[in-house]
Amino acid sequence: MATVTLQDLTKVYDRSAPPAADRVSLDIGDEELMVLLGPSGCGKTTTLRMIAGLESITSGSLSIDEQVMNQVPAKDRDIAMVFQSYALYPHMTVKDNLAFGLRRRAVPRAEIERRVKEIAETLELSPLLGRRPHALSGGQRQRVALGRAIVRDPKVFLFDEPLSNLDAALRVSTRGEIAALHRRLGATMIYVTHDQVEAMTLGTRICIMSGGRVMQVGAPLEVYHAPVNTFVAGFLGNPPMNLIPARVAEGDGGRRLAVAGESLVLPPARMPALGPETALTFGIRPEHVTLRRDGAEAGASLAAEVLQTEALGAETIVLAALREDRAAKVMARVAGDAGFRVGESCRLQFDLAAAHVFGAEGDVLRPR
Amino acid sequence: MDVLKKSILLLLLSGYTLFAAGPFVWAAMMSLRTTTEIHYDHFGFPDPIHWEKYPEAWFNSNYAIYFTNSTQVVLAAVIIVTLIGAMAAHCLARYRFKLNRLVYFVLFSTIIFPPQITIISLFQILVQYGLYNSKLGLTLVYVAIQLPLTVYILESFFARIPSDLFDAARMDGYSDWQIFWKVSLPIAVPAVATTVILNFILLWNEFLFAVVLITDEVNRTLPLGIQRFIGDTQEDIGMIATGLMIAIIPVIVVYAFFSEKLIQGMTAGAVK
Ligand SMILES: Nc1ncnc2c1ncn2[C@@H]1O[C@H](COP(=O)(O)OP(=O)(O)O)[C@@H](O)[C@H]1O
Ligand SMILES: [Mg+2]
Repeated sequence: MATVTLQDLTKVYDRSAPPAADRVSLDIGDEELMVLLGPSGCGKTTTLRMIAGLESITSGSLSIDEQVMNQVPAKDRDIAMVFQSYALYPHMTVKDNLAFGLRRRAVPRAEIERRVKEIAETLELSPLLGRRPHALSGGQRQRVALGRAIVRDPKVFLFDEPLSNLDAALRVSTRGEIAALHRRLGATMIYVTHDQVEAMTLGTRICIMSGGRVMQVGAPLEVYHAPVNTFVAGFLGNPPMNLIPARVAEGDGGRRLAVAGESLVLPPARMPALGPETALTFGIRPEHVTLRRDGAEAGASLAAEVLQTEALGAETIVLAALREDRAAKVMARVAGDAGFRVGESCRLQFDLAAAHVFGAEGDVLRPR
Repeated sequence: MDVLKKSILLLLLSGYTLFAAGPFVWAAMMSLRTTTEIHYDHFGFPDPIHWEKYPEAWFNSNYAIYFTNSTQVVLAAVIIVTLIGAMAAHCLARYRFKLNRLVYFVLFSTIIFPPQITIISLFQILVQYGLYNSKLGLTLVYVAIQLPLTVYILESFFARIPSDLFDAARMDGYSDWQIFWKVSLPIAVPAVATTVILNFILLWNEFLFAVVLITDEVNRTLPLGIQRFIGDTQEDIGMIATGLMIAIIPVIVVYAFFSEKLIQGMTAGAVK
């Protein structure tokens, strides 16, 4: 039962460098699982540590349940955190690791016993209670770290890349466990990751960060389908959105784009009318690109040459270069049996009803 | 081939053991012989065995007093130096503050001075504060001279403890003071055991500061007691050996006890 509000939260470690977190504003609702997503070094951990109280706040304010928390020490914030390194106490058994936080909070002995036992059962740690962390596997340590957070029943859970030290299979199953945990506990959680699959599958909302700033906040599909700038567009999706430089050409009500010597005409729903010669970026996701040997529509396709194919079975990822501008490369996600070969000429057919247009600064341009 | 290798190794080890243990065994044998017997044959076996020399040293030559003094001074000094040293090391390793490295460097740089340099000023200071010729004074001096090395050893150990552990403990609701006692110190047991052994042995055998700063018979420590048997014209070799043995036994006990802890702690993979 908690809401967390960040208002212009800023962290400056070093005056000569740009802030590690720069005016981060975010409203996290009760029972929400907010994912902070961004490339390494974008300030996710810093933001999380300010919320935890492990890092001082340079400016801005942090509130939990409407109460300003800037000056409240970490130990009094009633927040639990799962660390990337797990940070289990090496000199304590699993049981003591789980109980450590409760002992401090003057929980009666019998109650501690009961809760530790219960958590150990749900996380399948019961046979390991007497062991010390060095005698556990990576996955087991991870579960102890989770258990140590859950057992305290805190107001807010923080996760800092909790799955990044697990192997791929374990990562998928633990991801499921965390999602189930969130549903079961109905707790407010803030989850940091650089992995967009984790973000898309776990988050009720995603906050995408870059260079210490919040780029966009929204539900997973919302940020996927309506990125506000080229950074978000190019970060989400695997492969990410194709971004191709373009200019506005005469005609078609200011919605004709000149790209690599040809033109594309965008529907009014996807683009505002713009004056000729405006420089912009044309964006289209790989799943909205198809390859045609013939029969491509004029005004919605470009000539290209296949550079590389990656057969994944059900589908094939094709990398193609535009014929008239070989520096501009386009990824397409086509059927697994499409059979295009490297060096082959083709036309790239775009589903322009799903196209995006970004201005010179990289911000999305939407029709009014 | 394997057998040959093993035999060579065994031979070398036996040689070394003889070399290392020889003087100890010799002193142990002399401690059970009278000075006259020793003069007659330096390396003879104790025959008859003069057990009575031990009570003689203990009761008639004040060894009971020396032993008590040594125990008091060294135990107190080791406990204080371990606590202060561990706290200082924890602080230097864990907190970022201005002049952190300067404090560390100044503390550490005192290691390079030979002890003779400080002894005159220490003497002056102790006299001034009425601590000269007292066990308390000697204890404080012992704490001071062993502190740099203790901090040095512990700091490097604390610095290797991942800071996430401290953060985790803070999230679990513990204050910095509690974190020191419940996280830092228990994890550092192997390093602490090392400094305890080292400090105990060095201080138990310490002679220079003791001889300068203690004059009264009732305040003498064991290394000074051995002096008693060295007269102006003759030395009572037999009793010196007995005194030595009384002095050495606690060192062996401490080493045996703590080194086991030490190995336990290390093999448990304490920091991971
Ligand atoms: N303790 C610190 N002192 C100085 N700079 C730091 C510190 N921690 C992080 N930084 C810097 O702040 C920026 C953001 O780091 P971080 O929040 O760890 O990124 P992320 O978790 O998104 O990978 C990085 O440029 C990093 O170098
Ligand atoms: Mg990080």
